[in-house]
Parts: sequence; structure tokens; C-alpha cells
Amino acid sequence: MATVVDSTGSEERARAVARRRRGRRDTRAALLFISPWIVGFLVFTAWPVLNSAYLSLTDYDVINDPNFVGLDNYRRLFEDEKIALALGNTFFYAAIQVPLYIVVSLGLAMLLNQAGRAAGFFRTAFYLPNMTPPVAVGVLLLLVFNGQNGLINEVLGFFGIDGPNWTTDQSWIKPAIILTSLWSVGSSVIILLAALRNVPQELYDAARVDGANGWQRTVRITIPMISGALFFVFIVNSIAAFQTFTEAYTAFFGSGNTTYSNDAALFYVIYLFQQAFEFLNMGYASAMAWVLFVIILIITLIQLKVSKRFVYLEGEQR
Amino acid sequence: MRRSVARVVVSASAVALVLGACAQGTGGGSDDGTGAGEDAGEFDPEAELSGTLDVMGFGAGDEIATTRVERAEEALGEGVEVQLIEGDLDIQQFLSAVASGEPPELIYANRDQIGTFASRGAIIPLTQCIAGEGIVTEDFREPALNQVTFDGEIYGIPEFNAVQVTMANSELLDAAGLSVEDVNGSDWEAVSAANEALKKGDGNSLSVIGYDSKLPEFLPLWAHANGTDLISEDGRTAQLNDPKVVEALEWALSIYDDQGGFAAVKAFRDSADFFGAGNQFATNTLGAMPMEQWYINVLNDVSPDAPLAFDAVHDKNGDPVAYASGSAWAIPKGTENPGAACRWARVMTEVDSWVAAAEERKRIRAEEGKPFTGVLTGNEAADEAVRELVEPSGDEVWDAGVTAMYEANDNTFSLPANPADSEFKTAWQDAVNSVLNGQAEPQEALDAAQETAQAALDDAWQKWEQES
Amino acid sequence: MSTPSLDLDRVRDTPVVPVTGGPVGTPGAGSPGPARNGDRRPTRWTAGRIAIVAALVALTVVFVYPFIWLVSASFKPRGEVFDNKLIPETFTFQNYLDVWADAPMLLWLGNTLLVTVLAAVSVTLSSALVAWGFAYFRFKGRDALFGLVLATMMLPGAVTMVPVFLIWNSLGMVNTLTPLWAGNLFGSAFYIFLLRQFFMGLPRETFEAAKIDGANNWTMFTRIALPLTKPAMIVTLIFEFQAAWTDLMRPLIYLRDSDKFTIPRGLKALLDQFGFGGEWHWEIVITASVITTIPMIVLFFLGQRHFVQGIATTGAKG
Repeated sequence: MATVVDSTGSEERARAVARRRRGRRDTRAALLFISPWIVGFLVFTAWPVLNSAYLSLTDYDVINDPNFVGLDNYRRLFEDEKIALALGNTFFYAAIQVPLYIVVSLGLAMLLNQAGRAAGFFRTAFYLPNMTPPVAVGVLLLLVFNGQNGLINEVLGFFGIDGPNWTTDQSWIKPAIILTSLWSVGSSVIILLAALRNVPQELYDAARVDGANGWQRTVRITIPMISGALFFVFIVNSIAAFQTFTEAYTAFFGSGNTTYSNDAALFYVIYLFQQAFEFLNMGYASAMAWVLFVIILIITLIQLKVSKRFVYLEGEQR
Repeated sequence: MRRSVARVVVSASAVALVLGACAQGTGGGSDDGTGAGEDAGEFDPEAELSGTLDVMGFGAGDEIATTRVERAEEALGEGVEVQLIEGDLDIQQFLSAVASGEPPELIYANRDQIGTFASRGAIIPLTQCIAGEGIVTEDFREPALNQVTFDGEIYGIPEFNAVQVTMANSELLDAAGLSVEDVNGSDWEAVSAANEALKKGDGNSLSVIGYDSKLPEFLPLWAHANGTDLISEDGRTAQLNDPKVVEALEWALSIYDDQGGFAAVKAFRDSADFFGAGNQFATNTLGAMPMEQWYINVLNDVSPDAPLAFDAVHDKNGDPVAYASGSAWAIPKGTENPGAACRWARVMTEVDSWVAAAEERKRIRAEEGKPFTGVLTGNEAADEAVRELVEPSGDEVWDAGVTAMYEANDNTFSLPANPADSEFKTAWQDAVNSVLNGQAEPQEALDAAQETAQAALDDAWQKWEQES
Repeated sequence: MSTPSLDLDRVRDTPVVPVTGGPVGTPGAGSPGPARNGDRRPTRWTAGRIAIVAALVALTVVFVYPFIWLVSASFKPRGEVFDNKLIPETFTFQNYLDVWADAPMLLWLGNTLLVTVLAAVSVTLSSALVAWGFAYFRFKGRDALFGLVLATMMLPGAVTMVPVFLIWNSLGMVNTLTPLWAGNLFGSAFYIFLLRQFFMGLPRETFEAAKIDGANNWTMFTRIALPLTKPAMIVTLIFEFQAAWTDLMRPLIYLRDSDKFTIPRGLKALLDQFGFGGEWHWEIVITASVITTIPMIVLFFLGQRHFVQGIATTGAKG
């Protein structure tokens, strides 16, 4: 790392000009690389997003033209009891599921990291549920968590625990859904494992020479070195948790083949979907979407602020 | 620099807005009478037809479907290109098509969706089509027609009927000294008593379900059996907290409570091998329940020796009753070939087509050594003609099943079309579910549902009146 | 003994050497000497190692169970699908024959393969381009723009579905396979984020050195950055492959001709045929799920080889 020692005023000015020129070149180059996304964004994202913002101010059933109603939809949002219920369910789910998910995937990734050559086989095994169609997962949820003879309760019974009625008891439905979501840690495990494998062995060797033990090595080397990937997993899964839909919808709001549903499983996006496509209130659904957007945005910003202190990205060191 | 980034974003936003403006779909436009329903000359059984016919929501799976499809294609003639967009009607799929201004020429929907589509102008009234092509509406079953009649006009041509029959385990009944009359619903106290007598265990130790009142789906049935319906005949007034409805819910709930609560019954019921040889009747773990008639065929297939007894479901006056549902053909607004659509609907649902389809099924089943158990068509004249093809199989039990099915079919009722189908259904189902989950008492749950449902109905009817 | 000071800065300055394949080294296992290329130490079966393998095997059972259940059920006749026996009592191939006989599976397979490969390859390349733009360059507004990228993940897709459909419609692409994959030409927020994290993990010295050697932005991207993050790119390929392979929503709203159907769309058509009146042919549903999943498992297993490379970092100059 060369250090600037001594400089006269003109040298400094010359350096400043060079820096600005580099900056402009950098910007142009960067924008060139980013241009595919910008194009796609403008055509396929910006317009639909702006459109949905407009629709949130209308009464729209997709069949007929939108009918401007101003902030009516938003006013309704505040009075709609189901919104409060859905938000509550979703927050509860996210608050518990995200940390659990991260801990489990990190744990599994670390385990896999020790597996050496056999990692390939185990990795496929862990990713297997991700490759299973969500319909099947929803069906399995109902089977495995069945209060009477589902596998979970049978295993619990083995330990002398009388398992609850997971699929019908208010207080146990969300835990059941959360546990089911843990089946899909595979994707995060893969990402974290790739990151773990990227940590230079050298660091561990040097640390061991320094006399650091396993725990210290994990906390002082592993975690910081994979913090980039951890950060990713954290943010992405939080965003996904707030939009959870498929498994719960398949199991409890079925594609028409079940009329029994449960309030405890009414997540925000499920209610949004119902409003949009069953009640044909696309305008109201758009308003719901924007409220969710703002919520997720705020939470992500908080996460970003908090993570800035902890995330170490090698390429970012100046 | 920030400026160049900003410049890029601004200039390209302009592009996006322009593109977006081009992408605006025609959206249907309710005020623009696109001629479809207005030109009676288009509907003529003798006319030569051409063009395409995209049919969304129908799959030609079995012989009942394919036989009729062949006849329909023939009637359309060679000038028409028929394309079946297979798979159940998916709302997102349909709405996207409508939004883009290119809806399919014909859709196959559930009858209880027709009210919503009609009230929003997604489908056209079929008055001209019926008159022009000569569809004999008197042939159809009145409840089925009611389901597709909105504000006095018919919007769909009914196809198929699904009804309930009482199914019971004759061995368990005999052992308790009961007969199927005790569980067919004609006397609610008798059913409750039978429930007590037939069940074994309680709560988590439930080992035999006495009676399953099939909540939430069959609330309309119980309400009707008790003398009232969930919604008024004109489809405008919800009647969810009518005392008779509350009574029906309370009774159906008590059946579950007597067995340790809904959760226990449901868990036990779900763990049964519904479609298999280990089903609830074959394993003697269920006394009786009302169930849709197609299950008779399933039972016949997987457990032909199970000890079964059948009867129609009866209302409190002792008359047979069934809550009917099924599908219907409807023509979306703004299509270019309503003539072909109408003819297709006519041919698919006319008596001769049904008879041809039934004969084909009977032939195939004879080859498999199985009896022909009839088809419920939603068309009364067709039902009678098809019934003539049904021969007793020699096995009393299964013949009784078929008889019960037809008896139920002759005594159906339906809820009228209303413009807020989905909200209405969700409101009362939510109420029942909350009661089943122990979150509310029947009266308060139904009161709340009444409010929600009535508000949705009022809203929707008001919109409809404004448009027309 | 004084507490070992783990000076991360000092550790970072140590020149990094390439480490390929093999076990990263079990902390506390007392491995003899530093890992070297081609150095294959015999696995030492310590208590720690056994515990790890046992844990992995136990977890594998949990993760693999749903799929085993599915496969087993697909070989059962309809009456036995839910009989809770892992080994089918009546073993039958009939379901597979039924699914293949009733449907133009090869045609659908071809369509699905085409769409999936195009989707996966295009999203990987375009997202890498964009991610690089965000990772390497410094320019004003970079973080804000990246925030915008993230924000696109926060609005539920249900409300943008119809507007996007209208856009493709105005381009005349409805009822073609194009909308099923072409959106990926512009990158996707999820993968942009992922790849950016990995790019940012690359040490800047490598690029400084390359610049001195005369490399321009494009060469640095293609010759250095891409090869170094190969694992992350493979991960992207596989994830998107899986997403595109199982996507039902796009084919459902864009395709009308059944000879353009992809497998999920075709299977839905097939299954709905049997669904009259609430009766579901579960054995066909399950068999279809298995058929859909097998190709992905194969692909995943094969693609794994490329994850095994831990890091190939600066030491080996390309």
C-alpha cells in the first residue's frame, strides 16, 4: 500500500483532476455494465410498478376500466380487520422463521464444510426438498403434521410427548408452517457453503499458529469472512418471509379442494391474492401491495444500517 | 457522477412511460356494447360457421367428454378451428386474457362463479344465443338454471350436477340397532342419538366417528334442510344470521362437540385413507355421513365388499334434498365468434349428446365388467334418457346407491347467482371455520358474517345498477 | 500464557495461496502440516468426525424423507397412496405409463428444456454483468441505485402480473415461449445481489495488479472476476434452472397452444381432467411431481463437481 508522502499544491491539484476523470470514467463504465438491468427495469419493472401504484388509487376488477377513487383503498386498509390479522400472522412468522432459518442453514453449511468429499452427496440431499414441487410439499405438510397419526406426532410419541393437533390448532399451525419452511434451507446452505469454501485456508492456519481455538476461529475468521454471504441470506430471506405464500396457500386455502381454512394461516400475501383474484379487487390488492412494500423497505433499511457494522467485504477495503 | 446517472434514469423513464401507454389493454370497457349479444342473426343452427373457437377451462379427459366434443366439432363444421385450452379455468389466466382484449371465445366455469362474472360484464347474457340456436332451457334443471341466471337473464348453460347422498356403514348401524333412516337427516335428534350410539372413543382417543356433519362445506345443505337458505331468492339479501341458519350451525357443531370437538374429528378423518382400500367405511371407522355422489364410484372401485347403505339426504320434513353444484358454459364479452361458442354450448349439453356419451361409457364399462351407474347432467330431460340406460347390477347395495343418487338429483336446490359470489362464500365459510376452531360462538360468528356479506352484496349490486 | 491476539489485519496481509478441493481441515483434529495441492491425507476417524457424519446422516434422513415418500407413492396404485407404508404393498409402474401415455411428454420436455436453458444462461450472464457494475466501480448514486435493485424484490408479484402481461401482449409475444424466459436477459435482483456479494469478496489487489498489467474493464471482468466466482455462477445457473423448470404461472397465462406447453403446464392440464367434482387422482399428481423433479436432481448432482473448487485466488495469476 503506497503512501503519499509529500506533495506540492500543483501535484495535488493534478491528482484531484485525475481522480475526477477516473470517477467519470468509472461511472460510465459502471453504467455500461449495469445497462441490461436498467433497460429491463424500465420496461418490465418500472411501468408495472408505477401502474400498480396508480391502480392502488382506483377501483379495478381487471375486466373493466379502473375507476379513480383516491385514497379510499388505503382508508379501507386501516379499517379492515383481516389486514391486521394478516399482518400480525406475517410478522410473527417472519420474526421467528428468519433467525431460525439462518441459524439452521449456517449450522448445516458448517457441518457440510467438514464433510470433505462426501459433501456432494449430502448437499444434494439437503437441496432435495427445494426441488420438490410446492404442491407436494403442501400435501406432505398436512400428512406429516396430522394430529392423529402424522409422522411428527408419532416420533414425539416415541419420546412420550403427546403431540398437538398441528393442522387444526390455532397456536400450532404457524409453528408447523415454520418447521416446514426449514425443509427448504437447501438453497441457503449452498450459498453459505460456497462462501465457507472461499475462506482461505491460510487464515485458519495462521490463526492456529497464533493459538486460537475452534470457537475463536469461527467467530473471528469464519463469520466475518462469510459475512457477505450471510448478509445476503439474511436480507433475501427476510424479504421472502414477509411474502410467504405457496406452502400455506396449498395446505390451508387449497386450490379449491378444501373449504376448511384457518385464520392463523392467513398471511398477508395470501389475503392479497384473495382480494386480487377471488374478490376481483385489484385496486385494493395493489394498495395492500404498496403497504407491504413500504414495510419491507423500512425493515430492510434497518437491517442494512445494522449490518454495515458487521459485514466485511474484502473487495471493499480501500 | 450523480448527474449522469440521473440523466440516464430520467430519459429512460420517458421511454418506459411511452411503452407503458402502448401496453394499455382494452380492458373490456363495460359501456361499449361490442355487438356480441345484440345481433340475433349470428345465432342460427343452420348457419355456416368459421373462425376460431378457443375454449378455456375444459379438458376432454374421459369418454363422457370426448363423445360430446366430437359431436360439437361436427356441428360446427370444418370452417371452425377448435382449440381446447386444457386445464381448469384459472382466474389469473382468464383475467389476463380479458385485460389484453383477447378473451377466449368460450369459458367453462363453476356455476357459482357466473354471478360475479356476469355482474362485472365479463360474460354476455345468452338470451339471443338461446333463442337463435334453439337451446331448450326448459330441459335444464331449475336449480341449475337459477345458479346461472343473474338479474333475470341467463348467462350460462349448465353442465353436470354434483349432489350429496347419505352414506353409512350398515354393519355399524345394525350393531347399534339403527337403520339408515336414522342417519339420513330427516330427524336431527335421531341423528344426534345415532352419533352417540355409533361413535367410539372421544377426543384424541376417537376410534370410530359416529356421524360427520361435514362442516364447513355443507352448511347450505343443513340450512336448507332446516327451512331457510343462506341468501334470499333474488340474491340480494344475505340471511346468514337467520335463526334457522344459526340453529343449523349449532346442531352440526354439536355433532362434532359430542365426539370431542372438531379438531379431533378432523384429525382422525384426515388420517384415513380416503381413496383407498383402507377407507373409513371399509375399516369400520365411520358410522355415516353425507357425501358427494362421485364417492360411490370410488368406493365401488376400491372396496366393493364394504358394508354400505345409501339413502338421499332428507330435510326436516322428511323430503329428499341435495345441494347441487356443477359447471356451465359462458361466453366472454368482446369475442369474435359468439356464434360458434353458442353452438358448441348447445350441442355439448343437448339430450342426444348426453345419451351418446352415456352409451359410450356404458359400453366401456361393460368391457371392464363394471356396471354403468348413470351420469348427472344438469339437464332433466337428458337425465331421464340416461337413466333408462342404467340397469340394476344385481348387487342391492350399489343399486341402492344409484337410486339414492337419482333421488337426490330430482330434489336439488341451489343458491341463486349473486354479484359477490366469492366474498359471500368466504364470509360464511370464515364464520363456520371460526366456530369450528373454537374462536367464536355460532350466533356471533354468523352475525359478523352477515354484516360482511351484506356489505359486499350491497356494494356489488350497487355497482351493477350503476353500470346498466 | 498471554491471550493470543488475533490480529485480523496481519492475517490478511499474508499472501494467499490457492487451495483446491479436499477437506478444509477439521479444527482440533491435529492435521499433520498445511494442505497442499494433491495432498490426500487419509481421513482420521476421530470422535468429532464420527459425530459430524452421524449428524449429517440423521439430517439427511429428515430432508430426504419427503422425496422418498413421493417416489414410493408414485409406485403405488391409487388405493394405496396414503397408506403410510414406505415400501409399496403393490408395486406398480402403471402411473408412469398413464402419465406418459396420456400426454405428449417428450414435446413438453423439449419445450421446458429450451425455456429453462435460455432462462438460466441469460440470467446468469446478465446478472453477472450488472453485479460487476455494482461491485467493482465506485460512482455517486451507486448505493441508491443498488437499493432500487433490492426494492424490486419487495413488491409482491401478484399485482404486477397483469401489467407485465399487457407489455408482452403489446410486443405481440403472447402465445410464444419468449415471455417465459426473455425477462432474464435483463438480470434479476436476487442473482444480482448474490453475485455482487461474491464479487465484492474478491481482493482488490488482484485488479490493481491486472490494471498495471494493462487489463481493461472488460478483460478484468471476463478473465479475472468471472473465473474466480465460478461457484457462485454455477449456483445461479442451478437455482434459476430449478425456478424456470417448475414455473407454472407464466406458461399458464401466456400459452394457449398445447403443443407449446411446458411440463408444469401440461401436467396441470392432465391433472385437471381427473379432478371432476373434487375427486383427485393423487397417484397421478405424485407421479407427475416425481417426473418433474428427477431431471433437476440429475443436473444438480452433475453440476456439483464445479462447486468443489474451493477458491482459486490471486496466487495463481492467469
